[in-house]
Amino acid sequence: MSEHCFFDVLNNHSRKCDCIFTSTSIYRVEDLLELSADIRSSARYNKGACVALSGLNPLQLITAIIALDGYVNGILLLPSTTDKATSDLLLHLAQCTHIVSSKSMVGEPIADFKATSDNGSTLWKLATSGTTGTPKIIEHTLASLSRTVKKGTANANVFHWGLLYDPARYAGLQVVLQALLSESRLTIPDLNEFSAKVSLLGKHGINALSATPSLWRKLLMDFNSEKLHLRQVTIGGEIADQMIINSLEKRFPHARITHIYASTEVGTGFAVTDRKAGFPSVWLDNPKAPVQMRVCKNDRLWIKPVITPQGRAILDRSDPDGYIDTEDLVRVTPDRVFFVGRVSGAINVGGNKVSPELIEETLRQVEGVVDARVYAKKSSIIGQVVAAEIVPLAEMDKILLRAQILAHCQSTLEKWQQPVVINFVKEMEVSGAGKIRRQIV
Amino acid sequence: MRDKILKFMQEIAEESGWQITSDMKDDTVLLESGLDSFGFAVLVVKLEEVLGYDPFTIMEDPYYPRTFGEFVAVYEKYAP
Repeated sequence: MSEHCFFDVLNNHSRKCDCIFTSTSIYRVEDLLELSADIRSSARYNKGACVALSGLNPLQLITAIIALDGYVNGILLLPSTTDKATSDLLLHLAQCTHIVSSKSMVGEPIADFKATSDNGSTLWKLATSGTTGTPKIIEHTLASLSRTVKKGTANANVFHWGLLYDPARYAGLQVVLQALLSESRLTIPDLNEFSAKVSLLGKHGINALSATPSLWRKLLMDFNSEKLHLRQVTIGGEIADQMIINSLEKRFPHARITHIYASTEVGTGFAVTDRKAGFPSVWLDNPKAPVQMRVCKNDRLWIKPVITPQGRAILDRSDPDGYIDTEDLVRVTPDRVFFVGRVSGAINVGGNKVSPELIEETLRQVEGVVDARVYAKKSSIIGQVVAAEIVPLAEMDKILLRAQILAHCQSTLEKWQQPVVINFVKEMEVSGAGKIRRQIV
Repeated sequence: MRDKILKFMQEIAEESGWQITSDMKDDTVLLESGLDSFGFAVLVVKLEEVLGYDPFTIMEDPYYPRTFGEFVAVYEKYAP
C-alpha cells in the first residue's frame, strides 16, 4: 500500500462504479479522479508544499486528499470547528506553505514557510486537542491511517457506509478511507438537520455506519432510523458501555457490532466484536494480541502502535520500547479491561473533550466565586456532562450567584462546556497530593 | 409524573435559554420539541437530582424513547 498514493489506488478501481452519494448527486470513481486531477492541474503550489485544508465541504475535502496524497509533502486537515486562533497556531506548527479553502481551491501561499524538496510519502497532519486543550499535530501517512482498513476487491460493493463524522478528524477519515479503499460506497448526508441526514442515509440504503455512543443514542431516538438496515455497526470516540451495545444489538440484530479503540495519537489500536464492553484482559502483555498493550502504574493504558505516528507530541509520550501513553485510565478485572476516564480528568461530552481547568478558570471570573472544581458527571444519554462545585463568598446570595454563573457560562462557553450541575460547598476537597479531586461521579 | 416532567423541562429551558414547544403532547417527537440530544441529556441528569433515579441506567431491556409520551412512560415504569 505504502508505495501507492491515494490517487493511484483509486485509479486501479472500476472507474464506472458509483462511489459517493450526496443529497443531490452520485459520483463515480472516474468523477472523483477527474475532480482530483483538476485540483492538481490548477494548484498554485508545487510538490514540496505543505497544504492546509480549511473549511472544505466533505466532498471537496475528499477530492483534495485524493489529489494531494503523494503529490505534496504534507496535508494539514483542519476540523470544521477550528477557531481562528487555533487554526493560526496549527498552520504554524505544521509549517504550512499554502492554504486551500472553499474560496480558493487552487491554494493561497502563507508567508511564514517556504516549500522544501520532495520527501516521498505525504505526511497527513491531524490536529488533536491533546489533554491540556493545547492543539498539537500528529503526523500519519496513508499507510498508517489505513493499516486496519480491509482493502482489495473481496468486499467491493458489499458495504455502503454513511458519514456522520467530520472527515477532517481521525474517526471521519477512517470512514472515508474504509469506504474508498475497499471499493465500497459512501453516502455524505450534506444536510443540516440530524433527522434529515438519517433519512438520506436510509434512502440511499447504507448498511454500515460508524458513530459515537452519544450519536447512536440520538439515532435510536429518531424515527427515521427505522429505515436503516445495518450489517456493520461501529462504535468509537467515547467509552462504549454494555447498555449501548445491547441497544444496538436489539435494534440491528443482523449487524456485526464493533467497538473500536482509536485516537489521533495511536491510530486504530484494536477492535472488539464480542458484544461486550471493554476488551479481554488476556490481550494485555500478550504477543499474540491484536496490538501490544500494557497497563502501567496508576492504571494508565500504554499501546505500541504497529505503525508509529510521527511528531513531537508522540515523542513526548513514548517509552524506549515504542509504547505510547494513551493517558486513558483502565480498570483491570480477571476477564475484561474497562475504560474509566482520562488521566487529565478531561470530560467527554458526546465526543467533545472539555478541559476542567478551562471551565474552572471561567467560573472563577464570576464575582462572588472564591474557588471552583469541575469534574465529569456520568450521563446515560451523552456519556458525561460537566459538573461544578463552587466555593462562594460567605455573604453571597446563592440564588443570585447561580444565575450570574449560568449567564456568564452561557455567554463565554459552548453549550457542551457549560456546567449542568452546580453545587455550592464551604471548602474545596483536595487529594493527598494537594490536587483537586476530579473523579467521575 | 407527566406534569412534573413538563414543569421541569420548562424550568430548564428557561434557565438555559432554550426555546421548547409550548404545546407538548404525548406524540410530540422529543428531538423536535426544541430539546436537542444535549438538552435531553441535561433533562435526564436534572430529573435524577430531583426524582432520585435515572431509568436509563437501571432498565434491563435497553430502550430510548422517541416521543414525550414514551419518555414519561419510562419514568413511570421505573419509579421506585
